Amino acid sequence: MLHFHATQREFKPPVRDVILTMAAVQTPARIGALWQQRIEAMREYEVIRDGNIFRTSFSNSYVYSSEYDRARGQLERLVEQYQGMPFPAVFSGDEVTNEGGVCFSLRSSHRLTQTAVDVDRLRCEILADLTLVRGIGETTQRRLKARGYQTLLDLVKHPKFRLHAHRVIDCLSTGNSADIMDLIGCRHAKSHPFVLGAAGFHEPEDYVYLDIETLGLFSHPIILFGAGVIENGRLAVHQYLLRDIGEEQAALVATLGHLAGDRSALVTFNGTSFDLPYLRDRLAYYGMGTLRHIPHFDVLYFSRRRWRGRLPSLRLTALEQEIFGIRRRDDIPGQMVPEFYEAYLQTGNCGPLVPIIQHNRQDVISLALLFFRLLEESYGCS
Amino acid sequence: MAVADVVGFLHKNPDYRKRVVHVETTEPERPRYGTLDTPLPEAITAYLDKNGIQLYSHQCAAINLIRAGHHVIITTPTASGKTLAFNIPVFGQLAADAPARALYLYPTKALANDQLVTLQQMAQFTGIPVKPAIYDGDTPQSKRGMIRKNSRIIISNPYELHHVLPWHAKWGDVLSELQFVVIDEAHRYRGVFGSHIALLIRRLVRLCRHYGSDPQFILSTATLANPLEFAYRLTGRQCELVDEDGSPHGRKHFVLFNPFFDGIGERSTHQETKDLLLSCIQGDLQTLCFTGSRKMAELVTVWAREDARRSSPRLATAITAYRAGYLPEERRMIERHLKTGELKGVVSTNALELGLDIGSLDAVIISGYPGTMVSARQQAGRAGRKGDTSLAILVAQADPLDQYFMHHPGQFFSRPHEHAIVDTANPYIVSGHMLCAAAELPLRDETDQPFFGQLYDSLRRELASGGLIRQTARGWVYAGRGRAADAVRLDGIAAETFRVMCNGRLLETMDRAQAFREAHKGAIMLHQGESYIVRDMDLETHTIRVAETDVDYYTQPLKEVNLAIIETLDTTTISSVKCAFGDVEVTEQYTGYTIKRRDTIIGLEPLSLPPLTFRTKAFWFVPPADAEEKCTSAGLDFAGGLHGAEHAIIALMPLHVMCDRWDIGGLSSPRFGDAGEPAVFVYDACEGGIGLAEKAFGLLFQLFTTSHELVRDCPCEKGCPSCIYSPKCGNDNQPLDKEATVLILGGLCTAPGQRESTGSPARPEKVAP
Repeated sequence: MLHFHATQREFKPPVRDVILTMAAVQTPARIGALWQQRIEAMREYEVIRDGNIFRTSFSNSYVYSSEYDRARGQLERLVEQYQGMPFPAVFSGDEVTNEGGVCFSLRSSHRLTQTAVDVDRLRCEILADLTLVRGIGETTQRRLKARGYQTLLDLVKHPKFRLHAHRVIDCLSTGNSADIMDLIGCRHAKSHPFVLGAAGFHEPEDYVYLDIETLGLFSHPIILFGAGVIENGRLAVHQYLLRDIGEEQAALVATLGHLAGDRSALVTFNGTSFDLPYLRDRLAYYGMGTLRHIPHFDVLYFSRRRWRGRLPSLRLTALEQEIFGIRRRDDIPGQMVPEFYEAYLQTGNCGPLVPIIQHNRQDVISLALLFFRLLEESYGCS
Repeated sequence: MAVADVVGFLHKNPDYRKRVVHVETTEPERPRYGTLDTPLPEAITAYLDKNGIQLYSHQCAAINLIRAGHHVIITTPTASGKTLAFNIPVFGQLAADAPARALYLYPTKALANDQLVTLQQMAQFTGIPVKPAIYDGDTPQSKRGMIRKNSRIIISNPYELHHVLPWHAKWGDVLSELQFVVIDEAHRYRGVFGSHIALLIRRLVRLCRHYGSDPQFILSTATLANPLEFAYRLTGRQCELVDEDGSPHGRKHFVLFNPFFDGIGERSTHQETKDLLLSCIQGDLQTLCFTGSRKMAELVTVWAREDARRSSPRLATAITAYRAGYLPEERRMIERHLKTGELKGVVSTNALELGLDIGSLDAVIISGYPGTMVSARQQAGRAGRKGDTSLAILVAQADPLDQYFMHHPGQFFSRPHEHAIVDTANPYIVSGHMLCAAAELPLRDETDQPFFGQLYDSLRRELASGGLIRQTARGWVYAGRGRAADAVRLDGIAAETFRVMCNGRLLETMDRAQAFREAHKGAIMLHQGESYIVRDMDLETHTIRVAETDVDYYTQPLKEVNLAIIETLDTTTISSVKCAFGDVEVTEQYTGYTIKRRDTIIGLEPLSLPPLTFRTKAFWFVPPADAEEKCTSAGLDFAGGLHGAEHAIIALMPLHVMCDRWDIGGLSSPRFGDAGEPAVFVYDACEGGIGLAEKAFGLLFQLFTTSHELVRDCPCEKGCPSCIYSPKCGNDNQPLDKEATVLILGGLCTAPGQRESTGSPARPEKVAP
């Protein structure tokens, strides 16, 4: 009988794989093409029939077929129209240099009627809300009010709730808006008018209206950052564009610069689920640290509370059209931004970038408009 | 002693006696206990005392090594207490180091659930704040954050990990404190799947390094021939081996039973299985029977019940079939009835090595060699209650591997033969994980090359030229449109996939090669034991439409194989025969298919399919010039001999290299290429190669010798399915010449080889004269 086999009891890892070093291993030349074909076949949205009213929940994953066809046609026209035009001839802006490298910055300025928040009224309303104190629900509040505890200030005399009431009052009088939002958010829904009202504790110059355009739904580069800020009473939209993927870090640094102020507050549309995690992810990707905790107003939450069931769609483009009558010309669906940008990357033709920049700019403007409208409806000074 | 009675009966009964070709009796073994280098934390000692556990020698060895900071692979048999051997040091470390974390990877949900229960009990008793939790596709979104934050042992599976890694920003707390990665049932990660897992682990380690941790790896596997090499390839780490089992065993009789002892086989393997099952049950042995397919499990059950009814109706109801897909209540009922003794016999498919908690039984019948020694041992391991005598029977089929063991029992009971293969150099697999890695952190040539190996530079260039990754100051950044992790499937090679649809329902997906082979138009296709007929194959939309059918015929494709040697990478001489290993390009052209009833061809249909061309790795040998002369002068067919040798070698590849014979392809020609020399090729049947031919190249002498023995010792006259006939032959087993095969193979195993290259010689440990 033959006994060839013994369990291997020793193993020395190859210093270099003998076989592999004998000849440069040939990589089949079609591997790159194979992956490219495979990845291009993966679309992160689906095209659906126009007027499919069953698919109008808030979701980024569909595009109406008429929009799709229009956008594809537009892409072809743009490539033709901008053929041979160099980047500086199409866009006027500046190169930004920072520790992340270089990127391209565009700036535009827009008129914006701001809302003054009736802070006193807000304060009164908050003080009258006993449920902000831990342990007090609706029923207890009714009972307490019947017994004469009308405001949080009265509650300071209450034997049981005294301590907690003190904490809430301290927070309201000395805390910053983030603390107040956290306090309210703990006891109420994140879309509660008080949370929105906390914006009133800020100066208009503190807000940064942020919107990003990306190459995909997750773990892809952010190719355009739009940051709106109030400068001299007007809305200035700063956009940081990647002329190539290598400029992403510079654009990240430039964008974060707007959020560096002591009292900065962020305003986004669906930023809680998209823009913020995406930013965090990209910072982690480059090992650039984490995002500082700053007050964040997600306008989608407030819009849902205000218009759900009243308007057919809660997409930003639908809201701006219904409420402000804004009709975008030559806009492209946000989901199709990646393929426009890829067309630019592959050909160097700047045409496909034009609608991306317009789209992003309009998103920032509409976001600011919507924010002020919601604020005014709740706490505007009439 | 019921077992002894049944064994005695097998020896006495005239029908059985002829078929029992070997009985291997293992004497009982007493437990061997070990000592620990340093005492365990009090809570853990109390836990062991409470459960009356004294640690066996191998458990102590594993614990000592792990606590000393080594990477460890434990290969002791099923039910030897491997789980405890790694849970103890992990708990110890988590108790001592408050932020420390551990990740446990399991291949199936059932195993993950079992482990969760064990860990929860241990955590509860010891009071060590571990908070074990499963994090997989079924974990609700609402719980995920808390698990990442609080659970210090996270149980998951490779599929989940693949999709979790891109979200590493959320996993920072875990990754920065990850101290252990436990990979249980690691032998399952072999072949294409294993190679994906190896690269997935490289991605995990790459992220751990980014977050500042360097976890220790603990692997637990079935017995393998190459545990250390396997562990190294899978994890990229050198591991310490723990393989000396200290747990006690009762006496065990292992019977090799050959229905084809006479080369004919009056009754089928399944009929014989049924008879054996009845004999065991009548001898009052609780018996578990494993069959090759679901259908067979049910047939054997029905037959056994019918026969039993004649003698005792009560006995008939004591036999049941068990298959995957039973509801939990049904499973619990079977488990309960086995415990109470109401059930005597359970017939199950091979697939069920796990998932049913029935503890151990008196006897196990394995109907047909399950394909790997690992499976055979695991199945046989189900027999034997605490210290009691047990019985295991392997009933052979008319397959080369089964018959080889029947004629060479020593090979079955000797040390493990199987090398588990993990190939970290398949360019298709490596490139996919490089894309995923680039989407996780920018790829940096200087630090990432070691993770992805020699192919890194050329593949990076390939991916960059397609625009999927782009260069930045911080490295190469993923810039593809879709999610990279979505484009990489852990169980396949990047290739076109076909969808098999039945009545608008997705039955399964298969790659192009498998689709052409098994699901061409007109094919009778098997899916989970059921037959389907292929109505139509659409090459444009990659859709195959099938319908359920119940026919008494089957189909077999005919193909022409062409092969071109791209580059010879290594050569050796075995018994003065030139052998080589290298890159080849294979073109497979399916030309038609035969329709067969039993073994008779009842029809022949042409097929028009485009040729399949792929690069892969192969070994080949060139028989000496005089081989042909010897054959022709003896009146033998040389071409038939080469063809037979090819089949025999492919049939015995799984004995040495853990794989399925479908994972390998072959080509033999009396006049190959420009030189017009005879040649036999054996190649990996998947794009890019997966290390099978490469491993076999190092074991050629053993492979040739066993193949020669197989054909030489087969009692048939002109070749049969037990030796040189191949069920997958694309030439319908034409031409074949058994005598010529024996002559050619015999010439290959007169002397072991000496690798002419720098590689070390593949010298066998012991060679008997």
